[in-house]
Amino acid sequence: MITLPPIPLTSTEENPLNVTVSALELLPTVTRLHEQRWGYLVAITGIDEGAAANQITILYHFAHGATLLNLRLTIPRDNPIVPSLCSIIPAASFYERELREMFGVTITNTPNTDYLFLPDNWPTDIYPLRKDFQPEGVGA
Amino acid sequence: MHTNEHTAQIEKFIIPIGPQHPALKEPGHFEFTVDGEIVTHASVRLGYAHRGIEKGVESRNWTQNLYLLERVCGICSHVHATAYCLGVEKLAGVEAPPRAQAIRELVAELERIHSHYLWLGVTAHEAGFDTLFMYTWRDRETVMDILEAISGNRVHYSANILGGVKFDLGEKEAQTIRQGLSFLEERTHHYLEVVSQDALFLQRTRGIGVMTLAQAETIGVIGPTARASGLARDVRLDDPYAAYDRFPVPIILDDRGDLSARVVVRLKELLASIETIRHILDDLPPGELTVRVPRKIKPGEAISRVEAPRGELFYFIKSNGSEMPERIHIRTPTLCNMASVLTLAVGHHLADMPMLLAGIDPCFSCNDRGIVVQYGGDDHDHWTWERLRQFGIDHYKQLESGVF
Amino acid sequence: MTQLIHLLFFPGGLFLLALGMGYEWLDRKLLARLQNRQGPRWFQPLADTVKLLSKEEIIPQGANPWLFIFLPVVALAGTLTAALYVPLFGLPPAHSLPGDLILTIYLLSLLTLGTGLAGANTPNRFSLVGATRTLTQLFAYEAPFLMALLGPAIVAGSWQISIINDFAGRNWLIVTQFVGFLVAVIGLMGKLELPPFDAPEAETEIVSGALTEYSGRGYALFRLAKNVELVVGLTLVASFYLGGLANPLAFILKTGALLLIIVGVQTLLTRLRLDQTVGLWWRYGALLVLAQWLMIVLAKII
Repeated sequence: MITLPPIPLTSTEENPLNVTVSALELLPTVTRLHEQRWGYLVAITGIDEGAAANQITILYHFAHGATLLNLRLTIPRDNPIVPSLCSIIPAASFYERELREMFGVTITNTPNTDYLFLPDNWPTDIYPLRKDFQPEGVGA
Repeated sequence: MHTNEHTAQIEKFIIPIGPQHPALKEPGHFEFTVDGEIVTHASVRLGYAHRGIEKGVESRNWTQNLYLLERVCGICSHVHATAYCLGVEKLAGVEAPPRAQAIRELVAELERIHSHYLWLGVTAHEAGFDTLFMYTWRDRETVMDILEAISGNRVHYSANILGGVKFDLGEKEAQTIRQGLSFLEERTHHYLEVVSQDALFLQRTRGIGVMTLAQAETIGVIGPTARASGLARDVRLDDPYAAYDRFPVPIILDDRGDLSARVVVRLKELLASIETIRHILDDLPPGELTVRVPRKIKPGEAISRVEAPRGELFYFIKSNGSEMPERIHIRTPTLCNMASVLTLAVGHHLADMPMLLAGIDPCFSCNDRGIVVQYGGDDHDHWTWERLRQFGIDHYKQLESGVF
Repeated sequence: MTQLIHLLFFPGGLFLLALGMGYEWLDRKLLARLQNRQGPRWFQPLADTVKLLSKEEIIPQGANPWLFIFLPVVALAGTLTAALYVPLFGLPPAHSLPGDLILTIYLLSLLTLGTGLAGANTPNRFSLVGATRTLTQLFAYEAPFLMALLGPAIVAGSWQISIINDFAGRNWLIVTQFVGFLVAVIGLMGKLELPPFDAPEAETEIVSGALTEYSGRGYALFRLAKNVELVVGLTLVASFYLGGLANPLAFILKTGALLLIIVGVQTLLTRLRLDQTVGLWWRYGALLVLAQWLMIVLAKII
């Protein structure tokens, strides 16, 4: 049995609310939000914390009126796997495709794994928004 | 089993629309599987306008990024800059003065007028009603002229700077704006009449692409597309930013959810914007235009949401305390609405596709930011930035010297 | 010798092509002015044609090259031949034979058939959809258009265009057969695939429809054929319904007025979807003309 992290669904004292979840807790939490019809999924942001920290942080942003909720999920950078939200929120598909191709995060059970933005001949092991990807000719 | 799949593959007749196609003013690629004239499946492929902006911001400082991010989109350039400025100001712990906030809202609403007029023309063109297209674009020049008169630019107004705005509005400018607005108001009433009474236009819009409220919630649409389905989502009201708490805009809802409703909602939003701009002009708060924003921004995260003409625009900004941002994530409204086209396409006529697509007011340029496509560099298919730059310089030198 | 002149220079051949370009220019210019645009200069259609003729013709892979080259020729030849049977420029037709009305209508359909086949000949998907739409639309407007032109023929008691023209000169049939006139004008627009009946070449859906793969000479010939068909169609409708064409002045005035009506309709209306076009023709056009037809026949019998 997974214990759900407490989500203060009515509190507006802190905005945005940050709730840290684990990969296992993610789906039940989102399900609960969805069942209570609390807000909608605004975006999914990936942040590469760098090779030294060996972490990728994924933020699931939900909004309910003016209240924002960030579900923070930290996964190891060398083995990034998260479950897909598409079974609960079909609209997440585009965000997950973007996350997948930009950060190399493996998303289990996501319905579509085609490249959304990158060209089809893009090398499979290069993820542009990771910190160690340095495009040439760009820089201060 | 295998042969069945094989025959199914052969029987598929796919109409490709894009990346180069007269229906699309910007590159995107859609594949519509048709059975006769009826669409049975739709898929999308984006990324043709990728310029690597999300990566690019990480190697530029806070001020440079303002100009880069304004160029994410050529139509809603101001909202991108506004979202970025509001986010950075939130991180730095400063707030732009009320007069600056009011001018931000004013320019944003002018931009909405320009964007919706442009959209109306495009939709009319997709429907094959070129006369409406030509007339709306003629009238759109009025708002372009206003924007040029107050900012000096037609497209990238560059109104925002970190901590405020760049230009002030005097009585003369206010007069120009008022004059232009009263003309636009009259025209908007006229177009509202046209789109809700012209029998043939209605034949192409009424009952086409109907999206119910429940569907709209599931698909997660935003902006005018959502409001045309009765989904009350508008960041200007839900989470007022800039001066929207002082000069609120009314929410425009329609419960029919079809293409016609999307047209009507946008036209009514024009009237609402015109009214709001008048309020701002009547009651422009006095005071400074800017506050100082430090060169280095305190570490932290900020989320900034603004209502672009196409819907909610989302910025996530993370600072690590240096002169450059650690990460900026942009979620543009088109990405949310795109899914609705793919869902609604099924069962409609091929002839409805361009209109259905135009109905969400897609902006591929906004949509595609992200990535630098030049990987490798020695491959002759891939041009490095240096090579591209050199090519441009040589080309224009040749042009100048008259050698072709 | 005179026949050769008729065929090659006047009123057929070169003169007809020039006239066709003139009407195309008038159509484009008027449409542009009504849409708040500048529009082309007077020699633009000629310039377009010359440019297209000088361009390389690309024959797509998978298309039958012979069909690809000859279909535009057939289409142009068909419309040019049709011009010989109509009172072009207000002059008596160069050729006249009993029943030439039917012949003319068939010759005019060659353009549409040629376009449809040309689209079906190329493997391009836009062309295929365009060809399907072209031919579907052909079945929609052809019968009502034919019936609309047969109305005057019945009252005149002849299938010969020159006789009907003479008869129409004494009776303005637009007054007595208004429905027929409307259907004939709109049928002509459908035939020429002008907006709002331009679903077969709706650029925002299927690029250029059946002719998407045509670039140089073939496209130029199709365009010329369409121009000629515009002139011939206007001549037919004007001579049947607008009091006949007895002299060049009447020709210019009456076809010009008709063109103005057509341009006005193009300006005002939104493109119809193909199913809407077909529905419009069979639900209203065909039935109305049929009703009028019955009335004419009854009136004749009584």
